[in-house]
Amino acid sequence: MSKHDITLNVNGKKYELTVNSNELLLNVLRDKLFLTGSKYGCGIAECGACTILKDDESYFACMVPAVAADGWNITTVEGLADGDKLNPVQQAFIDNSAIQCGFCVPGMVVTSTALLRENPDPDEDFVKDYLRGNFCRCTGYVAMVKSVLDAASKMKEAK
Amino acid sequence: MKNFEFIKAPDVKAALALLDKEKDNAYLVAGSTNAMVDIRAGKVNDRTLIGIRDIEALSGIKFSRGKITIGAGTTISEIAESSLLAKKAPVLFQAANQFADPTTRNSATIGGNIANASPAADTAPPLLALKAEVVIAKKGSKRRVAMEDFFLGVNKTVLEKDELILAIEFSANPHSAFYKVGLRNAMAISVVTAAASVRKDKDGNITDVAIALGSVAPKPVRAFNAEKAVLGKKADEKTIADLMKAVSKDISPIDDVRASAEYRKDIAPVIVKRVFCKACGICPNEGRTK
Repeated sequence: MSKHDITLNVNGKKYELTVNSNELLLNVLRDKLFLTGSKYGCGIAECGACTILKDDESYFACMVPAVAADGWNITTVEGLADGDKLNPVQQAFIDNSAIQCGFCVPGMVVTSTALLRENPDPDEDFVKDYLRGNFCRCTGYVAMVKSVLDAASKMKEAK
Repeated sequence: MKNFEFIKAPDVKAALALLDKEKDNAYLVAGSTNAMVDIRAGKVNDRTLIGIRDIEALSGIKFSRGKITIGAGTTISEIAESSLLAKKAPVLFQAANQFADPTTRNSATIGGNIANASPAADTAPPLLALKAEVVIAKKGSKRRVAMEDFFLGVNKTVLEKDELILAIEFSANPHSAFYKVGLRNAMAISVVTAAASVRKDKDGNITDVAIALGSVAPKPVRAFNAEKAVLGKKADEKTIADLMKAVSKDISPIDDVRASAEYRKDIAPVIVKRVFCKACGICPNEGRTK
């Protein structure tokens, strides 16, 4: 098993790490950087609980060998808030009681953030379609979709 | 997690040299959305993954003199967002917009989708319907393979162990359409997919047609009998009835966890009709496409 030196920029902080070739980005984030917001759900890109951002695009961290992420600019759910101020999606999830057990929420919030960066003015169908890769088994989809639309309108008002 | 090695290839030359050196042990990965699933399932063990995600020469959509070239490393997202493809190859654009989910689309590539050769690969029927060619390289040589000769069976293609797909090329055709039947919207592996492209002369006679289906045979297939039923004719009611009848000769579906063979035999003619009509611009039923 070969070792590799990699650099990750995570939530604005630079990390220099040595990883095994078979380590996954998700494991490095959780077990080496202790950023446990991203969840290990299915491990096969079915559930979306491990979703992170690379720049503004969403990726499943369970699908990415850590070596392949060398040089990536990553945001996890921990990096979405600005200090104590939650990002609009996080706040909307609270305001709309969109959280039940909470396991899927980091992935939901991260994917929804990517959604709003791609399309700041989505309709309900767009949100439902965009969140198709994030599973909630509680199941709170209705409140979540409402939250994303709520976040979009709050962001519009703030402009 | 199972063991695997990972080597990042900085360019095509390096990737081909690595494939030549590793041969049987090599496993190409771009977004690694197929590889990681197979590794976790224990189907792929102790292989050397050759990472080609960052090779710029493999990425991008180009249009020149009626021909579209898509680099093998182009992500499904790039295809789903391409206004060029929306206009000039809607069949592929529509398939990309129904592919898995937006996050997977950011990683998955068109080269990976066809190289994996799932009978349900969503980009395969559109590429068959566009009569695409696959540009393949290995150390020291290059070759082109017609899409209809590319797939051999379930997860089997003509690709040799030391070969890499460079690009996929086809002629633009705005008169093309795709339709997917899945069990649900989200993440659905297709039950049946169909794609069609047509060209008509000024009298409305069909001068060229290609129809393809996914998930109805061990590999994505061209529907040659269906094509024969409409070639040279006008897209009227009788032609469409003949088309639907002919489809059954082109498919050999099986029962699986998603649907029965019987159901697939029933719906295949219906969705072939839909994509054919849509490609001809005559169908009132738009279907579930973007």
